Order: sequence, then structure tokens, then C-alpha cells
Amino acid sequence: MPGAAVERATVIEIEGLSKLYARDVFALDDITLHVDRGEFAFLTGASGAGKTTLLRILLRQEMPTGGHVKVDGRDLAALAPADVQAYRRAVGFVFQDFKLIPRKTVFENVMFALRILGVPDVQQRRRTFQVLKWVGLQHRANAYPVELSGGEQQRVGIARALVNEPVLVLADEPTGNLDPDLALDIMNLFREINGTGTTVLVATHDRELIRHVGRRAITLDHGRLVETA
Amino acid sequence: MIGGLKYFLSEACLSLWRGRRSSVLSILTITIALFVLGLFLLLSANLERTVSEWSRSAEFSVYLRDEATPVERGAVERALRADASIAGVDVVTKEAALARFRRDFPELAPATAGAPGNPFPASFEVRLGSSAVNASALETLATRLRTMSGVADVRYDRQWLDRFASLIVFIRWAGLSLAAVLVLAAGLTVTNVVRLALYARRDEVEIMELVGAPMSYIRGPFVCEGIIQGGSGAILALVLLRAGLDLARPPLAAVASGLVDGNAIQFLSAGAVALILLGGMLVGCVGGLVAARRLR
Repeated sequence: MPGAAVERATVIEIEGLSKLYARDVFALDDITLHVDRGEFAFLTGASGAGKTTLLRILLRQEMPTGGHVKVDGRDLAALAPADVQAYRRAVGFVFQDFKLIPRKTVFENVMFALRILGVPDVQQRRRTFQVLKWVGLQHRANAYPVELSGGEQQRVGIARALVNEPVLVLADEPTGNLDPDLALDIMNLFREINGTGTTVLVATHDRELIRHVGRRAITLDHGRLVETA
Repeated sequence: MIGGLKYFLSEACLSLWRGRRSSVLSILTITIALFVLGLFLLLSANLERTVSEWSRSAEFSVYLRDEATPVERGAVERALRADASIAGVDVVTKEAALARFRRDFPELAPATAGAPGNPFPASFEVRLGSSAVNASALETLATRLRTMSGVADVRYDRQWLDRFASLIVFIRWAGLSLAAVLVLAAGLTVTNVVRLALYARRDEVEIMELVGAPMSYIRGPFVCEGIIQGGSGAILALVLLRAGLDLARPPLAAVASGLVDGNAIQFLSAGAVALILLGGMLVGCVGGLVAARRLR
């Protein structure tokens, strides 16, 4: 069954996706796109091109107006409300503004993602420590987000996204609030994540960063897919 | 499961501490509502008990003439015992009545010593059955007994006791209605206080949603917060009721001396205490659920 083999190899399948916010105002217009398992791809385009809308649909924060979206074989439109949260637990998401819980320490912020899965305490701690070590923040485990630099906060965000060992990591402008050196640092971290076999899709408007990393760039313009190279 | 409950509890306590002013307001609102409910339950239960005791003591007394013959006495006793609503008949002889008077009113006892003969009549003291006794049937019996030879008088005090019992029912329903309104207000207060807590933590809630926390995990702490508020309010109301009762007992005993035994005034039954406690927690739980309901 070649069709089934293709489906297994593709993590993100988008067919004819459109999102209409107001009458005749398309945020996304007839997007067809595949991202293979283990691929590292960029989603790029100017502000308002539809990058964030596409990521919000992929995180099931929004529903498409038309078309189909499947992630790891799951049809996002068909997910029952109770299944949405289970789906999100299977996907790691990195936010531009980090979205860390301010009153929790670095360790607690990362461990939280395991706790909601009901993982036993000992395993929660062991896995959290491993991931923090991997992003180079084990020495900041007891610090609060406000005590960290922007780069460190984003590393915590990445650690939280990874701790559940997701099949797919989505990142929305993860370097948007960082200076160029830190941005490169974070991109290298994404490359390492991808090196372990995890599919990574990063939305960024930074062409220089894409050029530096040298992976496939999916370009959107006014909601339309204009280039995938 | 236990880990989840621990998490809910710790998060709820933290949230209560952070919003302690509004939490205190909420707890006090529940306290007032449940205090009123408890007060009316306390009042009605004690009044009911008192009326029940009065009813048992002498509800129906048939006084006999001194010259009543044994045949007449027997006829009266048979008429009484034949009535289904009568649970028991005690015969009080003239001597027993005099002895009782001397025992109950020792300061007046010397006056009876100087009186010619025994002024107290013999009587039948009748104990009535359940409270569901047909009042009009008893009134008919009293009227019939008054016409029997050998009977001097019939004292039937059931009517005013029934009126008093109706008053207690009214007091209870008035109390329950007032308490229901106050409990509703308390529930709304809890809802709004929990909603404030939710608003204060909206960023955190959003993050939890985005990382895929189950809805029960997100809502749990808020529901737990409501339950803690309700439970605390209930405990406070019960403590205030108990303290109030202990303070009120001596003056009440002094005022109602002879009518009510002050020491016989009892606190709420275990069932009523459980009702108030669980009721408070339920109100808090519903308040928390209503507030957290907005989370998708």
C-alpha cells in the first residue's frame, strides 16, 4: 500500500486549506503542503502573510474555513473537544513570548508538561533534569522565569516543548525577542532536536536565519503559498 | 489521583492566599448564610422538642368530682381507653395529686397542711399518640367526657400546642426561605471570587490549555477553591452557632425558667451539622464550577 506508506512518512498534511476571517479577507487561501517525518522546515513570509494563523490551526487554536489538516494521521477538524488537549500534548509548541508560568521555577515549568500526562513523580524529575541538561539550563533549575535572560527563557520553553518527546515541534517566531547571537543559538538547538528525528516547523520572518540554517523554506504571501524550496 | 488532588489543593490554597481579601469576603458571606440556616434549624428543633415534651406531659386531663362513684370512674376510663388516638391513661388519685403539688411547689406546701381535707381532685391524665391526632375528633371526645357523670372538668391543651407547632413550621419555612436566598447570594459571591482568581491567572490558564493540560486539571484548582471557601464558611458558621448557644444558654434559662429547661436546649443534630457542612461545600463547589465553566 504505497498510499499508507506515504501517509506514515508525512507528519503534516495540508490540503486546500483556507481561513476566512471576514468577508473576502483570506488569512490563508488554498494552501496545500506536506511536511515529512524527521524534516526541519521553515515557514516564512512578511508580517500578515498567514504564518501565525497556520500555526494556530496546527495547534487547533483555530478551525479552518475550508480544506483538511492532518497531523501524524489525526484529522484536526474531526477532533472532539476532549481530544484536542490530548493532541496538544503530543505536539511541542514554542512561543515567541516564551509563555512560562511566572510563579513556577524553571524545573516546575518544564516538569508541568509531564505532570499533566500523569507520569510518575520520579520519572517526571529524571526526564525534566535530562531535558534541562540538554538545553544547558540544569544550573538554573530553581530560578524563576523573571530571573532569566530572554535566551534562557526560550531554552526553558524549548525544554518544555521537548520533555514529552513529541512527534512534532512547532515554533512561532521563537527568536523574535532575541538578539542575533542568541537567535543562532536557539536555531542550533532546533537543529539538534531535528537531529534526534523530531519533525520541526519554525515560523520566522528572518531570511538571514533561514539562509544560515539552510533548510526548506515554505513561503507565504497574503495567505497564499508562493514558494517551497 | 492523589497527586492530582494534592495539586488541586495546593493551587487552590495558593490562590486563596493571593486573593485573601476577596476570599475572606466570600467565606463570610457563606458563614452568614449558613449561620442563618443553622439558627433557624436550631430554633425549630428545640421548639419542636419542647412542644413534644409539653405534649407528652399533660395534654388531656379529666378531673373527677370527689363524689364520683367507682362505676362512674370506670365508665370515664373505659371511654378514654377506647379512643384510638390515646396512647395511655394514668390515674392520679387525690392523694397523689396532693403529694405532687407538695413536691413541685414546696414553698406553698404549708398552705395545704392547714386546709380542711384534700382540695385536689382525682384525675385521669391522658397521653396522646402521634402528632397526627385528629384535633376535631379529640375535641368531640372532650365535649362528650364533660357531659359524663362524675366528671368535674376536662382540660384539653392540644389546640394551642397545635397552633404552636404550626408556628414552628412557619418559623422553619421562613428560616429556610431566608437561608435559601442568602445561600444563593453566597453562591454568587463564590462564583465571582473564583472568577476573579481565574482572571488573575488567565495567562497561566492559557498556557495550560496550549500545552494540552486536561480541562479537569485546569478547572480542578478553581473548583477546589470554591469547596474550601464553602467548607470554611460552614465550619465558621457552626463554631459561631455553638459559641452563641453556649453564651445564650444561661440567660435563656433564667428568662424561660419554669417553661423550658435551659440545659435541655440542644445543639444541632449530627445530621444537621453534616447538612450545613456539606451544603457549604456544595455551594462552593457549584460556585467554582460555574466560574470555571467558561474555560473551553
